[in-house]
Amino acid sequence: MTRMRSRKLQSAIALTLSGMAALFGLFWLGFILWDVLKHGTAAVNWALFTEDPVPPGTEGGGLRNAFVGQLMITGTATLIGVPMGVLGGTFLAEYARGRAISRFISILADIMVSVPSIVIGTFVYAVMVKPVKHFSGWAGAVALAMIMIPVVMRTTEDMLSLVPWRLREAAFALGAPYYKVIVQVVYRQASVGVFTGILLSIARVAGETAPLLFTSFNNAFFATDMGKPIASLTVTVFQYATGPFDEWKAQAWAASLVITIFILAITIIGRGIIRWKYGNK
Amino acid sequence: MNNGNEIEIEVKNLNFYYSGGVHALKGISLAVRRNSINAFIGPSGCGKTTLLRCFNRMHDLYPGNRYEGEIIFQGRNILGGDIDLIDLRSRVGMVFQKPTPFPMSIFENVAYGLRLRGIKKRADLSERVERALHHSALWDEVKDKLNESAYRLSGGQQQRLVIARALAVEPEVLLFDEPTSALDPISTAKIEELVVELKKAVTIIIVTHNMQQAARVSDTSGFFMLGELIEIDSTDRIFTTPSNKLTEDYITGRFG
Repeated sequence: MTRMRSRKLQSAIALTLSGMAALFGLFWLGFILWDVLKHGTAAVNWALFTEDPVPPGTEGGGLRNAFVGQLMITGTATLIGVPMGVLGGTFLAEYARGRAISRFISILADIMVSVPSIVIGTFVYAVMVKPVKHFSGWAGAVALAMIMIPVVMRTTEDMLSLVPWRLREAAFALGAPYYKVIVQVVYRQASVGVFTGILLSIARVAGETAPLLFTSFNNAFFATDMGKPIASLTVTVFQYATGPFDEWKAQAWAASLVITIFILAITIIGRGIIRWKYGNK
Repeated sequence: MNNGNEIEIEVKNLNFYYSGGVHALKGISLAVRRNSINAFIGPSGCGKTTLLRCFNRMHDLYPGNRYEGEIIFQGRNILGGDIDLIDLRSRVGMVFQKPTPFPMSIFENVAYGLRLRGIKKRADLSERVERALHHSALWDEVKDKLNESAYRLSGGQQQRLVIARALAVEPEVLLFDEPTSALDPISTAKIEELVVELKKAVTIIIVTHNMQQAARVSDTSGFFMLGELIEIDSTDRIFTTPSNKLTEDYITGRFG
């Protein structure tokens, strides 16, 4: 009887503690979202997307340069990172399946995923910025791509490994060469999973600031030359939020809101696809 | 029984080693007659599936596997280094234990092997897909939904679809690796009927755990144990008066 009671007591304590921990985490998440929403919506307007920055102290202006720059940097990073990640994952799951080299690269990729993004920014600075002595959009895109590659590669590897081996054998038995088996059968079977991985990796890099700080830097003017410094939302938020002007602060909130919604949307779409495809897990 | 049929495949003193050196087939010699159904039976791990997978060189997918001896098919040793595997696999089709439809439409599944061989014209494809589906007794069930995903078919239908896919490229030999072990009795009966029907067009080798199945469908049965061919003879003989004590013990259910 007393044993039963002590067990119930233990259970109640554990439940209370874990419940409180969850609430504590959720509270801050809700607080952050609420705060961004409150300050952001107040500052979001049409000019934010259509006009370039005006000198501090002047009314109006927007962040068109940062939106365009962000899209260019993220888009280029996706164009570099996705093919390399998918092909790398294909190598790991197909051509090098079960070999020591595959496990070795997988572990390296896992380490790469957890490397602080500022370290990657510093690396790209040393390799692509320092030698040419100026910041560039390309450097920013490469830094983001380097963060994407291991993420996409590992997801691709996992998703391809989930495709039953007998499906490949069936295609081989019809006389298909390996590359056709991969492209026509394996990719098709794993397409939703790989696509979701790509979406989530875009969401992952879209909010990165550190790797852009010393690569693409920032630009107060509208620029589309990837060979020059180029503005991005995240770096602009960093600069405006720490700057001395109220207009800057308001626009930083607005930009934060837009980034948050963008990333939230991609993540929700990605999760939604997973749930739709693989059931309620 | 032996009404002078031609030999389709002749296996001569075949040894097979898996990577790591496991000696899985030991000195196998046998002949398979054209347009006959040949069942390979025996306890698990006896080598019957290993032998089946030699006929389309499936073992080549994995490094380290090694063949010794000869398999003569259409006058050539298919274990030779000069064999075009793509060509061999279009002559020797294979159907697996579990249905293996590809993630595409019913039509595209059957057309897959045809496209691999460079057939592109829609009319040609349609004609041959329809013929293959008729041949595998699936046409009436799928003719109105050729563009639907193959995954929407039942397990038995999927297995017949896979057979249609193999038939579409008009092979001379079809290998079946326990084709009904994942199916319900009704679907199994349909597949068995189909196998008997297909004998008119192709030579069939079927690996089965189900001895009634071997007795029902096959003309010839080979009994394998521990990588050796113990006995091969007409199915009637094997199931009534086997000459080897081991065969008799196995088919009467004393082990296995």
